[in-house]
Amino acid sequence: MNDVLAYTVVALSGAAVVWGLVTAAVDKPPGKAQLLFAALVELVTVVQSGLAGVRLALGFRPVETATTIGYLLGIVVLLPVAWLWANSERTRFSGVVLAVAALGVLAMTLRLLVLWTPAA
Amino acid sequence: MTVPDPTTPDPTLLDPRTPGPARTNRGPGRVLVAVYGLFALAATSRAAVQLITSYSEAPLAYLLSALAAVVYIIATLTLARSTRRSRRVAWAAILLELVGVLSVGTASVLDPAAFPRATVWSVYGIGYGFVPLVLPFLGLLWLLRTRPR
Repeated sequence: MNDVLAYTVVALSGAAVVWGLVTAAVDKPPGKAQLLFAALVELVTVVQSGLAGVRLALGFRPVETATTIGYLLGIVVLLPVAWLWANSERTRFSGVVLAVAALGVLAMTLRLLVLWTPAA
Repeated sequence: MTVPDPTTPDPTLLDPRTPGPARTNRGPGRVLVAVYGLFALAATSRAAVQLITSYSEAPLAYLLSALAAVVYIIATLTLARSTRRSRRVAWAAILLELVGVLSVGTASVLDPAAFPRATVWSVYGIGYGFVPLVLPFLGLLWLLRTRPR
């Protein structure tokens, strides 16, 4: 894992969590900027999984390769699915839905950082 | 004759307070479905990895992981569908989830040796911030709240 990229994902997804909860607290559905921001988080997440995939393809073997691959794939589907689900009924709860997905991305990235140590 | 304006969404989709039968997939139910979906993904990938790579190491724990995955998937889909029939299946799935997290949680505390590899439900879901313990209660509460009368 590229540490700088991973912590960028952590920071961006953390901001998306807070943003989603704030719009819910003020009883507003997510606005355009918020939805674009979620798309940006997704973009960086995809780049992260792509680069890690390249490292794996080049022969890097983390301790738990299968788990790592599962995380790298799973992490990129969260936000798009939540995005669609949040937009199919736009209420204050749409923001919470985005926050849940972003929290998932955050937690999975932290887990990936731990998993990303070379197998002995 | 009025032509529906395509730019105006169906009002029932905008306002969860729209009169009509209570739906498990409306309002806060959207969030519940999202959390169940997240756990469906987490449990499914965990179970898939365990069953494919090292089934023989801890068959009981891994089969329980797979059961958890199935329960979360069914709960997600049935809460999202919110038909009369899917509500009944959701009740069953979430009750099973509650029994699962309580029994696996208790067993893994009393006899850690029997659970050498973690499942989503080990120690009441400690690896997932105890959300697996809280989730079935929220699910049952939501099914009660949205009960048709």
